[in-house]
Amino acid sequence: MRFLYYDKIDSIEKGKSIIGAKTFTLSEEFFRRHFKKQALVPGVIYIEAMAQLLGWLIIYSHDFRLSAVMSLVEGASVMPKLRPGFRAEIHGEIISTSKRDSLGRAWITVDGKTAASMDRIIYSHVHKVNSEDLMNLFYYYSGIKV
Amino acid sequence: MRYLLVDHITEYKPGEFIRGIKNVAMSEDFLEFHFPKNPIMPGVMLLEALTQLTGWLEAASSDFNNWFLVNKVIKSNFYGFAFPGDQVELTVELISSPQQGHPATIYRGSGFVKGKKKIVAEFEGEVIPLEDIEDSEEQKKFFKVLIRELSK
Repeated sequence: MRFLYYDKIDSIEKGKSIIGAKTFTLSEEFFRRHFKKQALVPGVIYIEAMAQLLGWLIIYSHDFRLSAVMSLVEGASVMPKLRPGFRAEIHGEIISTSKRDSLGRAWITVDGKTAASMDRIIYSHVHKVNSEDLMNLFYYYSGIKV
Repeated sequence: MRYLLVDHITEYKPGEFIRGIKNVAMSEDFLEFHFPKNPIMPGVMLLEALTQLTGWLEAASSDFNNWFLVNKVIKSNFYGFAFPGDQVELTVELISSPQQGHPATIYRGSGFVKGKKKIVAEFEGEVIPLEDIEDSEEQKKFFKVLIRELSK
């Protein structure tokens, strides 16, 4: 299983916002045991999707000179009963960012309706990174060449 | 990968608390991506372990009639990292419920590795009929595997 919860980035604005998309399919690994009689997307996966996408915005905003690791999530709501076959639009915004850490918020819409949201997410920055590797990963994951 | 984030249930008291273990193995698929060259147990997978443990608590407290699905994370703090080879000791306790006069049912979960805190989370969710999503009898048998009450 590849631990990637977005399929592409549709728009990105340095230091400000990011929009991406993830299509949930029945072939996701987590449906093995979640659950036997109904395939329900685990609520925490939406949190991961928002965290991964916003993480890339932070890395992009700092010109790939650092990486971001989630350290706090506050006020998150998720819809726990969605079955696969839908496209989630993932939105992320930076509220503030410094050399040390970043604060943001994010939400997910499905067919124009909010399916998940988080009021606050804090990332700690990691400075021991290979910028070129990060840039190549970003291109592969997002479809956007820097 | 089977989406099972609890390896062992060590102790529980119906309606009150449950303790369990998640062993982080290098063979976990997600470690290949989280992160490239630096395998670290994803924080939300620890959160998932806590919500699954809550499911087991709800099941064990209702003679396997109920399960739990998280729908709100009030707060989740992630401290340091859990690495491959670590054994995460998980606890979930019920901290408020309508029966105690509170408006919502809230659980508090934590995860420690060798006494060091890795996650503390408070969350709410929906209690749903277990039979809607799983075969209750099979789930009960699997619970026995988790508490190491092996069948003949």
